[in-house]
Amino acid sequence: MAFISSGYDPKEPMKDRITDIGPRNYEEFYPPIIAKNKGKWAYHEILEPGVLVHVSETGDELYTVRVGGCRLMSVTHIREICEIADKYCDGYLRFTTRNNIEFMVDSKEKAEALKKDLESRKFPGGSFKFPIGGTGAGITNIIHTQGWIHCHTPATDASGPVKATLDVLFEHFQNMDLPAQVRVSLACCLNMCGAVHCSDIAILGYHRKPPMVEHEYIDKMCEIPLAIAACPTAAIKPKKVALEDGTEVKSVEVNHSRCMYCGNCYTMCPSMPLADKEGDGIVIMVGGKVSNRISAPKFSKVAVAYLPNNPPRWPEVTSTIKKIVDTYSKDARKYERLGEWAERIGWEKFFEKCGLEFTHHLIDDFRDPAYYTWRQTTQFKFTD
Amino acid sequence: MAKHQTPLLDQLESGPWPSFVSDLKQEAEARAKNERNIEYQIPQDVVEDLMGVLELSYKDGTTHWKHGGIVGVFGYGGGVIGRYCDQPEQFPGVAHFHTMRVNQPAGKFYTTKYLKELCDLWEFRGSGLTNMHGSTGDIIFLGTTTPQLEEIFYELTHKHNQDLGGSGSNLRTPSDCIGQARCEYACYDTQALCHYLTNEYQDELHRPAFPYKFKFKFDGCPNCCVASIARADLSFVGTWRDEIQIDQEAVKAYVAGEFPPNAGAHAGRDWGPFDIQKEVIDRCPTGCMRYEDGKLEINNRECTRCMHCINVMPRALKPGKDRGCSILAGAKAPILDGAQMGSLLVPFIKVEEPYDEIKEVIEAIWDWWMEEGKNRERLGELMKRQGFQKLLEVTNIKPVPQHVQEPRTNPYIFWKEEEVPGGFERDIKEFRKHHQR
Amino acid sequence: MDQETANKLVVEALQKKQKTKSKFYFSDLQDILGMKPREAKKYVNKMVEMGILEFWSSGSTTMYGLKGTGKQAAAEHED
Repeated sequence: MAFISSGYDPKEPMKDRITDIGPRNYEEFYPPIIAKNKGKWAYHEILEPGVLVHVSETGDELYTVRVGGCRLMSVTHIREICEIADKYCDGYLRFTTRNNIEFMVDSKEKAEALKKDLESRKFPGGSFKFPIGGTGAGITNIIHTQGWIHCHTPATDASGPVKATLDVLFEHFQNMDLPAQVRVSLACCLNMCGAVHCSDIAILGYHRKPPMVEHEYIDKMCEIPLAIAACPTAAIKPKKVALEDGTEVKSVEVNHSRCMYCGNCYTMCPSMPLADKEGDGIVIMVGGKVSNRISAPKFSKVAVAYLPNNPPRWPEVTSTIKKIVDTYSKDARKYERLGEWAERIGWEKFFEKCGLEFTHHLIDDFRDPAYYTWRQTTQFKFTD
Repeated sequence: MAKHQTPLLDQLESGPWPSFVSDLKQEAEARAKNERNIEYQIPQDVVEDLMGVLELSYKDGTTHWKHGGIVGVFGYGGGVIGRYCDQPEQFPGVAHFHTMRVNQPAGKFYTTKYLKELCDLWEFRGSGLTNMHGSTGDIIFLGTTTPQLEEIFYELTHKHNQDLGGSGSNLRTPSDCIGQARCEYACYDTQALCHYLTNEYQDELHRPAFPYKFKFKFDGCPNCCVASIARADLSFVGTWRDEIQIDQEAVKAYVAGEFPPNAGAHAGRDWGPFDIQKEVIDRCPTGCMRYEDGKLEINNRECTRCMHCINVMPRALKPGKDRGCSILAGAKAPILDGAQMGSLLVPFIKVEEPYDEIKEVIEAIWDWWMEEGKNRERLGELMKRQGFQKLLEVTNIKPVPQHVQEPRTNPYIFWKEEEVPGGFERDIKEFRKHHQR
Repeated sequence: MDQETANKLVVEALQKKQKTKSKFYFSDLQDILGMKPREAKKYVNKMVEMGILEFWSSGSTTMYGLKGTGKQAAAEHED
């Protein structure tokens, strides 16, 4: 493997350097029909799950076929997407904010041919490469973070639980049979680099053990003041520690009752690892939304404090989610989002109907806002 | 024969949803075969080692990655995230496995020509694995070695007219919804504003000098498809301030069952015939609509523009014609002091080039936050600490009832001296003339 | 302030603290320079370009340090 230079000269990094040019201009990438009709769209309709038509004031019609995609995607797979877009869509396509892929054509006939082709493509293991769906009152793609494939502080994997969950919820990806859309999101630790805190259902990786401290190495590998400063709850203090051989070294002490297991110290200092097989697992949060439709946007609430990591298919997680979705599906009214349903029936009823255990972990005790979540009325419902 | 046995991962190949494991395997195979005769610049078996390390995590329930903070491209403080494997002897192909964030085009439309160019570059100089796209919106190049970072940046900028995205304490790569490109609800051109501000603030995006991350997101309407209101320090949500446009004939057609409600979004279940009273009028949060004698009436002065009626009857109702956006400030994920939703700062602003008024708001906020923000304090937290009044003061925005859900429930107002006639300094001797000690 | 004076101020101040830590927030540099953030940023950017300072990023937060100093380089195998 011989090194091939791009033309960059490490001795003179500033020579011919181009910076601050930003992204490519979006107008280069509009399909002609989009460029022509931008701002002129009159209405749209979902013809069937995953297939939309947009009709313009100019009379033009645009057919979109939406397919689920894995956020983790190889260039081989992207090239296959390109091959399809070259064949049917004049070389244009787009991605949605939820990692779906959209192929756009200008007639129903082309959309039919495209659909047939997409449905026929499968991986050797049997899964669809391009499942059509993800529209309307159903479940669309789960947005997620990196997990064990790339992150240094995850409490769970991302791609794996997402695959397992979407296999279980697949019928709702291809059928618009729920009272409203259910947005499912996954973040692999509480730092939430994927903001899942306003999702109908959030799958959140969570550590439950404070970091270990490697006294022998910490002062050699880390700058202790930085590790201390990294802690958002001020749980880390400097401490002199005597090693087994009697040498005294500079180290730190973690106040376990203050630690919220965020891993920020580990980011600064590799001598403070916190991942742990028994400690780590998943929190299920429910009832959030970002849309302003009918009711204001809402945060998701913790419905299950802990489920174990059980790779490769996380059965405890998927069955809990399935139970919640099934109960919601049966009980909610048309247009009612999961959180709106839970609020209408009352959270005590939510736990009863979903068959979820209520434990002390679910009562907020984190800082000021906690008080406002306790029940301050005599109005409540009795449950069995 | 695969380099590492992956019995756990293999179980994720079945089931209907696209299997990322199958995709990893096909990429590993493609690299092993190397039919294009590529002079791979990082180990050819990188994907196999990546599967190996992931299988190990599936076995022992913990991650095997370490963070790296030094690597980057010269002069930029963001766009690259350093990663090292904590089992480099076992998995040498991924010993160094850094991420690059590539600034996606607004709207995420692509030509295949361009995507193929990126694929060629990334297969040659990286793992060939991507995220399309990351949570913030960037195209993510997942996994390369340190020496390749500058080479990739050089090729991106010189051959592909393409820059990196943001990370760290800087402006993060802005992102937007599909907007007017293909949505009849969009009240302003999200792509135009997103692209313009991304370019306008390149220095803020690449050279971190903020207390912490800062995000812009652009939603064309209150449906908020990019979740700006939940996660952007400044979210720009399209809205209007005149009357919802009504096509009465189309309303009748909905009532007659000729058009599917909600554009067909509920077609998968039999919800019975469309009932405009139950599904629209009664669900309107302000009760500002009525349907009588075949005519829909909306009291627009009472409307809060929640989009429900428009979503249910897109062929009959449209946002008004006097369009712009609302700006909300301070949204963030829960770490540390709890999640915060964006708070309404500018109820309505026109979105027109050259966007001077919008830039004034942005820059006033940055000046305040850069000056007053503590290290790692998001804008929302500074707003909480110093008060919404302070935000209004620095942006020179007049307080209006729209800014609050309700007025305060305590009377503990910190009056400013100049607001109280005569000021705070008083003559105690004068006071004593009328009040005994 | 000319660039050279700024360089000197920053280098001296950071060297003094080397014993305890090598990475600093932007606000620390701004305090050393005694300037408003936007003003300080111009000088700091220049110092990065001149190879005096380098970035260290946690992914979510960015810090600055004198180039090549600190324990991170060895811990991250980038020395």
